[in-house]
Amino acid sequence: MAAAGPSVFLLMVNGQVESAQFPEYDDLYCKYCFVYGQDWAPTAGLEEGISQITSKSQDVRQALVWNFPIDVTFKSTNPYGWPQIVLSVYGPDVFGNDVVRGYGAVHVPFSPGRTSVCENICFRHKRTIPMFVPESTSKLQKFTSWFMGRRPEYTDPKVVAQGEGREVTRVRSQGFVTLLFNVVTKDMRKLGYDTGPPDTQGVLGPSPPPGLPR
Amino acid sequence: MAEVHVIGQILGATGFSESSLFCKWGVHTGAAWKLLSGVREGQTQVDTPQVGDMAYWSHPIDLHFATKGLQGWPRLHLQVWSQDSFGRCQLAGYGFCHVPSSPGTHQLDCPTWRPLGSWREQLARAFVGGGPQLLHGDAIYSGADRYRLHTAAGGTVHLELGLLLRHFDRYGVEC
Repeated sequence: MAAAGPSVFLLMVNGQVESAQFPEYDDLYCKYCFVYGQDWAPTAGLEEGISQITSKSQDVRQALVWNFPIDVTFKSTNPYGWPQIVLSVYGPDVFGNDVVRGYGAVHVPFSPGRTSVCENICFRHKRTIPMFVPESTSKLQKFTSWFMGRRPEYTDPKVVAQGEGREVTRVRSQGFVTLLFNVVTKDMRKLGYDTGPPDTQGVLGPSPPPGLPR
Repeated sequence: MAEVHVIGQILGATGFSESSLFCKWGVHTGAAWKLLSGVREGQTQVDTPQVGDMAYWSHPIDLHFATKGLQGWPRLHLQVWSQDSFGRCQLAGYGFCHVPSSPGTHQLDCPTWRPLGSWREQLARAFVGGGPQLLHGDAIYSGADRYRLHTAAGGTVHLELGLLLRHFDRYGVEC
């Protein structure tokens, strides 16, 4: 390999944490962070953030809008461990303490790469991700957590991006967060990867309303 | 060797009559396939949905395969179980789907079924729960012994899988 080809590829992700739907809760804020494999490293931008507190809109949408920006660039040699964004939403309970209202995670979309003229193709994705909270498994813990006003939480929200050890957790899904992504990759095609045709999800008209069974 | 990355999520399930659901999943491949990194099987969390009737698992999958041949393209086999308030588990459905063969992001809907058993077993299941289960999980993804079974429909499992292929064009394989 004397003709030095690229050995790393770049993944630029930007977008926003657009809005949320939590029918039962109000005055929420959102934290995000990225979880990625060993071969990955962030090169620019912020890999975590914390949003403002938003209240529900006074119309029928009852939308919680954050419009919170995401902008980060990663480099890697191997797609294994593709970055996931982990979201956690918090809000006050009746005593005014901040408690968690939902955790969620989703993989950063693959970039499309179909045109040979242009190495970098930008594309916009809209993802609605379900948010869930862990539940106590025993009746006693359920009672004490209700009595003390302390909900079970994950000590590290990054566990929602891991597949292992989930069989012991019981959760309750109770809301949705909508994310917008723009994704650009560089040199993936040169490294021999085929990411397929552009993903047309989210550009053709509005996405179906979240929370409804498909 | 050509490489395949399967990256995505088991999103959740709809259409099951039970409410607290979880899913055991695994990937079966032919002999030419080798798993370089990632976990081959797992189990999701138990979700009790409060909004709508879809159970959400958001269970991440990240697999890296190397392959010498196309035979035995990976297939995902799923077992959906329901858990009652006492923590007892009952089978809700079996299903399998092939990992898509074209690169890109795919939305998959995997229909499920469960063994029906004799009328006594059906009656017992209606009153006390339980019900027949497969002794060997390979009947989920192989068609060889299916003709012995009598089954009933379960709900649907929804998946989103992204496929990334490497060096397939080097061997002249068109996906």
